Amino acid sequence: MHRKWLSAALVGAAFMVAGATVAPAQETLKIGGIGPLSGGGTAWGLAAQRGMEIAIEEINAGGGFKSGGKTYKLELLMYDDQYTGAGGKAAAERLVNQDNVKFIVGPVGSPPALGVISVTNPAKVVALTNGYAPQILKNDTKDPYNFRIYPTNIEFGPPLIKWLKDNAPEVKKVAMLAPNDAVGQSVAGALAADYRKQGFEVELELFERGIKEFTPLILRMMAKKVDAFEFDGNSPGDAGLMLKQIRQAGFKGKVIQVGGPGSDEIIEIAGPAAEGFLSYGVFDWDTPAGKKLRPIYEKKYGKGIINQFMPAFYHTVFLLVDAIKRADSVDTTKVRDALDAMNGFDAGIYGPVKWTGKDFYGVNRQLMFTYYLAEVKGGKLVTKAKFQP
Amino acid sequence: MFNATILGQVFVNGVSLSAIYILVALGFTLLFGIMRVVNFAHGEFAMLGAFALFHLIKDYHWPWLIALPVGVVGVALASLVLEWLVFRWFYQRMFESMIGLLGLNMMIMFGAVLLWDVHERNIPSVSSEVLMLGDIIVPVDRLIVVIIALAALAGFYLFIRYTRAGLAMRAAAQDLEIAETQGVNTRRTYKVAFFVAILLAALAGALWGQIYAVSPFLGERPLLMAFVVVILGGMGSIPGAALGGVLLGFTESFVGTFYGAAASAFLSFGVVILLLVVRPWGILGTPET
Amino acid sequence: MSVNKRILAVVAAIVLLGWPWLTEDKFLHHIGVLICLTSIAACSLHLIIRTGHVSLCHTAFMAFGAYGSVIVVMQLGMPWPVGLIAGTALAAAVAAVIGPIVLRLTGKYFVLITFLMGEVVRMAIIENSWLTGGSNGIFNVPPPYPFLLSNRAYYYFALGFAVFGVGLCARLLTSEFGRAMDAIREGERLAECSGVPVIRFKVMVFVIACALAGMTGSLQAHYIKFVGPEAYSGFQSLNLVVMNVIGGMTSLIGALLGTVFMVTLPELLRGYVNLQQIMFGAILFATMAFLPGGLVELGRRLRKLLWGRREDAAAAEAGARAGTRASPQAS
Repeated sequence: MHRKWLSAALVGAAFMVAGATVAPAQETLKIGGIGPLSGGGTAWGLAAQRGMEIAIEEINAGGGFKSGGKTYKLELLMYDDQYTGAGGKAAAERLVNQDNVKFIVGPVGSPPALGVISVTNPAKVVALTNGYAPQILKNDTKDPYNFRIYPTNIEFGPPLIKWLKDNAPEVKKVAMLAPNDAVGQSVAGALAADYRKQGFEVELELFERGIKEFTPLILRMMAKKVDAFEFDGNSPGDAGLMLKQIRQAGFKGKVIQVGGPGSDEIIEIAGPAAEGFLSYGVFDWDTPAGKKLRPIYEKKYGKGIINQFMPAFYHTVFLLVDAIKRADSVDTTKVRDALDAMNGFDAGIYGPVKWTGKDFYGVNRQLMFTYYLAEVKGGKLVTKAKFQP
Repeated sequence: MFNATILGQVFVNGVSLSAIYILVALGFTLLFGIMRVVNFAHGEFAMLGAFALFHLIKDYHWPWLIALPVGVVGVALASLVLEWLVFRWFYQRMFESMIGLLGLNMMIMFGAVLLWDVHERNIPSVSSEVLMLGDIIVPVDRLIVVIIALAALAGFYLFIRYTRAGLAMRAAAQDLEIAETQGVNTRRTYKVAFFVAILLAALAGALWGQIYAVSPFLGERPLLMAFVVVILGGMGSIPGAALGGVLLGFTESFVGTFYGAAASAFLSFGVVILLLVVRPWGILGTPET
Repeated sequence: MSVNKRILAVVAAIVLLGWPWLTEDKFLHHIGVLICLTSIAACSLHLIIRTGHVSLCHTAFMAFGAYGSVIVVMQLGMPWPVGLIAGTALAAAVAAVIGPIVLRLTGKYFVLITFLMGEVVRMAIIENSWLTGGSNGIFNVPPPYPFLLSNRAYYYFALGFAVFGVGLCARLLTSEFGRAMDAIREGERLAECSGVPVIRFKVMVFVIACALAGMTGSLQAHYIKFVGPEAYSGFQSLNLVVMNVIGGMTSLIGALLGTVFMVTLPELLRGYVNLQQIMFGAILFATMAFLPGGLVELGRRLRKLLWGRREDAAAAEAGARAGTRASPQAS
């Protein structure tokens, strides 16, 4: 009996050894993922995680990729940052020091992003973050290794506001409602300044995140005779509710969001009240890439509204992999330099991308791509204007 | 800014906010008054009520008027399992109930995240019509919510006032031991009270989901509101919950419109803190000996 | 017994001082720092709990310490010790002002009012962004001293403070002072009649505990190099309470056990957040329903099971004691 087991085990082991020697030298490259997986930002964190998972599965199913004479498959290690600076720092410490990860994608929000780069930059680990705070790029780090993979209103705000000025001359006074959380506070102030710079009057109201009844604030704004409402900085769910309540309160003017992903969710929540809503967008689900991604997503995670960070993080994995291929090495400095030279890269998601930001942040580390302004007509988004970076 | 139209609109909003706050707070105060349980999981039952309504309407295409009572009663019946598994351990153990039920709160909330994912959903409006009273706008779906809330309040009052079960509840709330010696079956009374409290919570949640949106995190806000309302009115006091709901609803509407969101938040918290210091048992509550 | 204890203390000291050299893993050092800092916070909260009050705004006092220290250091350009003292003093001063008002409230009202006060503090931080950076917080906070940039060095630094903080709590609890605290929790009126100046006493404990929380806040902010309101929300305060509950509210050891458990578990489970929250929930519920004495009581029961009848009498007595003390002032 024992002998039988032993021989079976030996045969098995022999096969495994043989298998290992026959297969081409293939290694696993670990990618760190960080995002809020608990608390109020969970929707964003999950979207980031799922986007990366889909991209990694796609790359691995195609046999991985080659760099420096080796073939790599990818593996995602995803950690929660609790949407706090301390959480981001802890996740990065673990990825960098314990998991020996050299490339991190995420987090989504500003406080964790700042926590992450305080760890990754000294360790020379490449971090591809999101987050709206200018300090993520604009700081006194020498020789940084971090990039921002999603545009902020500093980039797209002024052109969109100019469009509003040219195409809706009746709008003179804009009401801004935003939550007083990290996103709202960093977005709203800067955006209000942009509006004022272009000659608009702005009424800004920050509210405690979590309230669902905006009617009193909407009435307050209407009593101040505003011509338009602006939503940037809100979560899509809250923006949808505001839109519904604004129309129920009898407001007839323009409602716009200059930035903030999630028009689909806004339309879902607001229902018929979404008609005529103007929204900034970067990803169109009716493009070939969108039509390919949606069924994969729905098969894996079920039907439902898909957060727009999903394609953004899907895209980022391809951006990173392409940089590793071009660098022909997994050395972080070489990959970073390859990333710096990625202008014109096109993964079929956003069209060709470009690094910008030198003037404002002092480094060219802000990814930009084509964005557009769309209007809701018959429950669908119809593109009104395209903006090239 | 203070003109008749705006004041009228503020009043209408105040009524609609108050109705929903009262509904959320009633069950919370009932559980406390009778079983001395601080139900930190109260908001989660509201969330379950909203999801029940959502699924009955979106997946089974039931008409709203049937889906609402069926969904709400269904949630309350199913929750009796939780009564047996969880709540009965905490009756008359106030401190333990606070923390233990916070645990239940986390379990239900994140179970819902696993089950339903985190994005927000919309229950189609019963009506997107708008009534005009002069210059004042009254959205019809809000009006329906107010009517249902008032009907539920009236029904609850009649139940407590005129049924034997209601009498047993009032007796148990006043003095447990005497009630027991007088033949009140406390175990059964607790079950009935629990059922009624969860029914009200689920109804509040369904209506909340109807006018706002549905997500696994729906329960957080109603819980906070129930909390504030009940402290204002007095923990365990049913008229207190009604008064607290009206006060909070109108304050939010009035201060939010005329002085902004920050003022509204600071004022309502400040008033509650002040009240806790000078009269911790609330406006209509009774001090404990 | 005392020889055993001395050996235990020496072993503990060797382990605490030695382990960072067994590994080069900075993440483990980071966890070490977190445990040290959190243990001060949890143990100081334990002091308040021992007087019969469960505070849900303990992290608000950490916020006073953190923001006080960071603002003094970064905006006034003072050295870190001045910041530490300023932050600690601010937390203590606020505690001294509000303590006499809120400590008159009984158990449940105290829980409610501290929860609301914590929210008010968080909202005040968010609204006053000119001073606090609002929701985005303050970045690039310098370390207390440049040589503390490495996690290992900071671990020893934090360990020093933890020994001081936890030691202070332990010293207080084992003194006359500690017995008076237990007397207050068991029966406030009775303690008053026996000559304990109840309110003055509770305020004193509250101020000491909040000062320790403020100190922790400063240490934490200068370690994380970032200070923002989310780290001091009601949820984080609740976490501190949970540490005490899970460990067992009857002894300081419970608070320490709870700290280690609550700090390490999320790190081990970081990828499975939702399941982790469900598990925490289940643990909280089960502890409160069936084991109000927490891990400490569990240990006692296990010991009773293992050693059987020999310690039966003693264990039963201890269990009974734990039972009566488990619920701080139920009404």
